[in-house]
Amino acid sequence: MNILVVMIPISIVLLIGAGIAFFWAVDHDQFDDMDTPRLLPLEDLPADPPGEPAEPGPAP
Amino acid sequence: MNATAGACWHCGEPLPAEPLMAEVGGVPRPVCCHGCRAAAEWIEGLGLGDYYRLRSAPATRPAEDSKAGTWARSELARHAVRRLPDGRSEVGLLVEGMRCSACVWLIERSLDQLPGVDKVQVNATAQRARVVFDAERTTLPEVLVALERVGYRPQPLDATALDDARRRESRAALKGLLVAGFGAMQAMMYATALYLGAFEEAGPATRDLFRWLGLLVATPVVFYAARPFFAGARRTLAARRLGMDVPVALAIALIYAASMIETLRGGSEVYFDSVSMFVFLLLLGRYLEMRARHHAANLSDALARLTPAFADRIRADGSLERIAAAELQAGDRVHVTEGGIVPADGRLEGAHCSVDESLLTGESLAVRRQRGELLVAGSLLVQGPAELRVERVGADTALAGIVALVTRAQTERPRLAQAGERAAARFVARVLALAALTAIAWSFIDPARAFAAMLAVLVVSCPCAFALAVPAALTRALGILAQRGVLVAHADAIEQLAEATHVVFDKTGTLTQPEPGLEQVEVADGLERLQGLELAVSLARGSSHPVARAIAAALPDAVLPAASALQVTAGEGVAGIVDGRRLRLGRASFALAGRPIPPGLESATVLADEARPLAAFRLAERLRPGARELLAELADEGLGIEILSGDAPARVAAVAARLGIGHWHAGQRPADKLARLQALRAQGARVMAVGDGINDAPVLAGADVAVALASGTELAQASSDIVLVGNHLDALGAARRLALQAMAVLRQNQRWSLAYNLTAMPFAALGFVPPWLAALGMSLSSLVVILNALRIGRTPDHAAGLPMATAAGARA
Repeated sequence: MNILVVMIPISIVLLIGAGIAFFWAVDHDQFDDMDTPRLLPLEDLPADPPGEPAEPGPAP
Repeated sequence: MNATAGACWHCGEPLPAEPLMAEVGGVPRPVCCHGCRAAAEWIEGLGLGDYYRLRSAPATRPAEDSKAGTWARSELARHAVRRLPDGRSEVGLLVEGMRCSACVWLIERSLDQLPGVDKVQVNATAQRARVVFDAERTTLPEVLVALERVGYRPQPLDATALDDARRRESRAALKGLLVAGFGAMQAMMYATALYLGAFEEAGPATRDLFRWLGLLVATPVVFYAARPFFAGARRTLAARRLGMDVPVALAIALIYAASMIETLRGGSEVYFDSVSMFVFLLLLGRYLEMRARHHAANLSDALARLTPAFADRIRADGSLERIAAAELQAGDRVHVTEGGIVPADGRLEGAHCSVDESLLTGESLAVRRQRGELLVAGSLLVQGPAELRVERVGADTALAGIVALVTRAQTERPRLAQAGERAAARFVARVLALAALTAIAWSFIDPARAFAAMLAVLVVSCPCAFALAVPAALTRALGILAQRGVLVAHADAIEQLAEATHVVFDKTGTLTQPEPGLEQVEVADGLERLQGLELAVSLARGSSHPVARAIAAALPDAVLPAASALQVTAGEGVAGIVDGRRLRLGRASFALAGRPIPPGLESATVLADEARPLAAFRLAERLRPGARELLAELADEGLGIEILSGDAPARVAAVAARLGIGHWHAGQRPADKLARLQALRAQGARVMAVGDGINDAPVLAGADVAVALASGTELAQASSDIVLVGNHLDALGAARRLALQAMAVLRQNQRWSLAYNLTAMPFAALGFVPPWLAALGMSLSSLVVILNALRIGRTPDHAAGLPMATAAGARA
């Protein structure tokens, strides 16, 4: 049971660390917009160079 | 190059006869105007040409005149730009023209290129961008110009906008929820060790250590996360009422204090895990409800963009000064240029002008106004310029009235949630009474157990499941509906939607498409049908009249020779030269230019050359996609269906017959429609109204639940509870099925939580429920409620989903 003396302080320190990280994230706009960021990775800078024939302009 | 099929490379609009060329990625691309060429070349110059590959919708045509320079005036910028504590500046922008996620990419990249721009955040759903910049190195007009260059129309928002309050509320709620969640998790862990009796052999010292640990993690939960309950309790008590917050706060304080005392004196039981979880689950319910409320508020943002930011005031000496619209006062004289938006309600002082009031009336044809007549803020001056004397400004204008109405309706808490909360409050008050009774009874039987039994009653009968029952079901339903293109402005509309017994439809623009479709083409001898159509389309592309658009839409992608020497005669038709032939398209009298009109062609749209009529086109109303399916479904379910239309009887009858509707009323004025609606309601019907125009607004406002189409007028949408985003009506049928399911789940949830509490309470009062069982019961009952809510929209019937049609002009 002596291991508890180590484990419990560690769990509390981790808890406080996680709490601080989350507060930081909330204050730095990480939770303000839950819709847009999930779209971006799908469409970010493509590997192939621009300039090759693109697909036709979409219909209006 | 002809891959673009006669459409502008940048904005997708039809090309003029001799298109301009823009170099994009080394390839010349045709564009429709100088604005588009500048935008395309600017994007290319920034190395952002990939935008054209990434986007899924064409861009908007850049505005010809930039208003950005006006924002250089410091007193205007003061309204929009906020100083951050670290010296940087922040501005919120409403960005019109954001159409797909590639736009987010483009906006972020193009602003990042500006010196001094630190941070750009773009929210595509709300069409908002937040830009943090260093005012020393860049200015607001430069930011605006950068966006205008790439074809967006940015509009700075008032720095004190509602958005900020919402953001603060949502952040505070998230933090509280997190503290409560972490605290509950840890407290539960320590408590489990106690419950399992792991320290029997280790002695009371270890047991006490774990109780102190429980106290340690429960303290921030009670003193930080539960603050909203204590604050709410104080508020309601100050107002001499007994809301939900009072009993909840009392229970939290009691359980926490009791457990602390037990810890200090080494008593029998502690409830730190229960009190943390109690707070967490109640906060979760509130958070869900807040999300639903904020989501609805996003809808009203659309109205913010209707009011112009500036006005040109006429000084006493006749010169103009540009001021913020907010600075206008009644009695000022204002100059509005052609194409400008009227900044305030006022009387026309010039001779006459034409305004487009489609914003308010849905009537897209310009209306002529004479001297002394009233011009309404938000209407577009089609033919001008105009001078007006301001009568009403700011919050008094007709437009502001609508905005205020919508905002007020949306900040109200859902009636359903309020009712749920009231029920929970009554319940908690009874629980408190019962807990007190238990304590008194036990103090006679066995005073040592009185305190423990009372706490067990409090914990086991926690109103968590009650508090979660309604918001969980509503949030889930709102989320699923929004995904399917049905925006619900008031959460109560879900209940009304499920309970409607009658549906009244407007005809034009609701059951039918707002614009007519080409129904029939007749051609003269010796001419192919397609040939005649092609000639007409070439001419029709030169005009924006609804009839011309309907004809042009018949061959949307065809590569055709463009007409030259185009002449549009308003209300009559269009003339021009195609392939060297001089052609006229329009009313028969116009097309034949005075020659006798052959019988049968009087009402048709005629294409003629200089010698004879070549083709005749007849237009008819097209049914909106999904209208037939929706009506069949509603009729199957036994709902009463009626058409109330302002149109002529023959046309209403024709549409009613095509849709199989027995009851219809034609020639109805708004007041007639409202009277009919009230008659139905007097018979006990719960009426759902579906409409799109200004003339439907009273009916929509008076109905039990109102549905507007996103293509309709702002006023109709503002009077409605539900807005259909897509072009398809059958989304409404799916929405109704989902609402029925949501209401069923909601009632199940309420019944279940009541049943659970009624069963558990007697056992707790009799002292049979140990703390671990009370905690387990509390969390399991809440979990059941949430899992049940997640069933909404999951069954195969609803999982099919609906195509989210966003294209405005679907083809017949």
